[in-house]
Amino acid sequence: MSIKRDQMAVIFAALLFGTAVYMVFLYAPTERVMGPIQKIFYFHLSCALLAFLSFFTAFVSGIMYLVSKDMKWDIRGLASVEIGLLFTTLVLITGVLWGRPVWNTWWTWDPRLTTSLILWFIYASYFILRSSVTRRDKRAVFCAVLAIVGFVDVPIVFLSARLWRTIHPVVIRAGSIDMAPAMITALLVALGTFTVLWGILLYQRTKTLGLAGRVGNLEKQLDGELL
Amino acid sequence: MRGFLLILRKDLHAEFRRPESLVSMVFFGFLLLVILNLAIPLGSEISPETGAGILWVAITFSSILGLSRTMSREKENRCIDGLLLSPVSIEALFCAKMAMNFVLMLIAQCSIIPLFFVLYGDSFLQSLPLLVLVVLLANTGFAAIGTLFSAITAGTDRNEALLPLLFYPLVIPLISITVKVSSLIFQGAAPGEYSSWLYVMLAYGCIFTGLGVLLLSHIVRE
Repeated sequence: MSIKRDQMAVIFAALLFGTAVYMVFLYAPTERVMGPIQKIFYFHLSCALLAFLSFFTAFVSGIMYLVSKDMKWDIRGLASVEIGLLFTTLVLITGVLWGRPVWNTWWTWDPRLTTSLILWFIYASYFILRSSVTRRDKRAVFCAVLAIVGFVDVPIVFLSARLWRTIHPVVIRAGSIDMAPAMITALLVALGTFTVLWGILLYQRTKTLGLAGRVGNLEKQLDGELL
Repeated sequence: MRGFLLILRKDLHAEFRRPESLVSMVFFGFLLLVILNLAIPLGSEISPETGAGILWVAITFSSILGLSRTMSREKENRCIDGLLLSPVSIEALFCAKMAMNFVLMLIAQCSIIPLFFVLYGDSFLQSLPLLVLVVLLANTGFAAIGTLFSAITAGTDRNEALLPLLFYPLVIPLISITVKVSSLIFQGAAPGEYSSWLYVMLAYGCIFTGLGVLLLSHIVRE
């Protein structure tokens, strides 16, 4: 029954994606100065917001784990960080692709770019930490602490990233794109689509990781019985 | 408070009896100051920004050698179990370890910063009193995060090798603020230009000290 419901959710997301692609490429007008490359913005912004939402979920999961010591919060935290890192990677890639033709440079030390990059490093280190601890409950505590500390660091990262701008010349001022109403509609549709995708990914990944944990436990029990 | 002083005194005593952390920190700091000289074009005066960058890269990279030792020292011979069984509170333990890291960094800086002035010109020397304030604020943040994460890495399989990978991403904001403020001080800017950043540094230290006090009990009980 629940497998059927999952399939329905995936089909729904696929349909939504079709709509989003239509809205972005056909419904929204092409930007006059930047041309079609501006279309990447709709996906870029959606990924950025959801990456942030993922890290917030990981932060909450970290607190919940430390309070309850319930393994399901560790799994939720791991799934959130995985998805958050995926979306941060997408943000960086789409940003670089957009920046090359528009800013005439792959990279500039703009606060938003710098913040995303540092966030990527913080949450990538989460996996290094995870792979360095074997005992499950210990690993869960350490990872929860890192998720909490990492998220508390985010506002300070953004604040300090403003300094990099004054150190390095900025080629063009980021943001402040005056958008036509149709563009805003397309953006909202893209955002909604990505949020649905995010929800499905988080749910499925949590489930898979939970099952993997159970399989691991069963294997351990079997080994114990065989010995 | 008494527990805090006892642990701090024990750590300082152990360090001064066999100053392995301090020697490696200072030696590595000197090395970095010499190596980073490669980044400067020959025969040119260095700008305040470059100077501040070099100084803080040398300090932060050398401090990791001391930070990683504070907690892993307690893992040897399971001293941490003794500390946890003693009536000393975990909050006092964190504060003592953090104070130890703070002192270690400060002592190392007392030799790294003078060498920096010798190697890179004493034109920055008039800014020393203000630089001391920056050093104290920066050390608080570094020591807080360093203590928390050295407790984590001491519990992992990879031990001390892991600390830089976890530590640097989190302290990048503090490093960039510190470098910025130091370069403004080297330029002789008016304090009004950077005083707000000093508050940010203070807040950073306070936030992560608080987090460390809250979170250390979860880490060391594992």
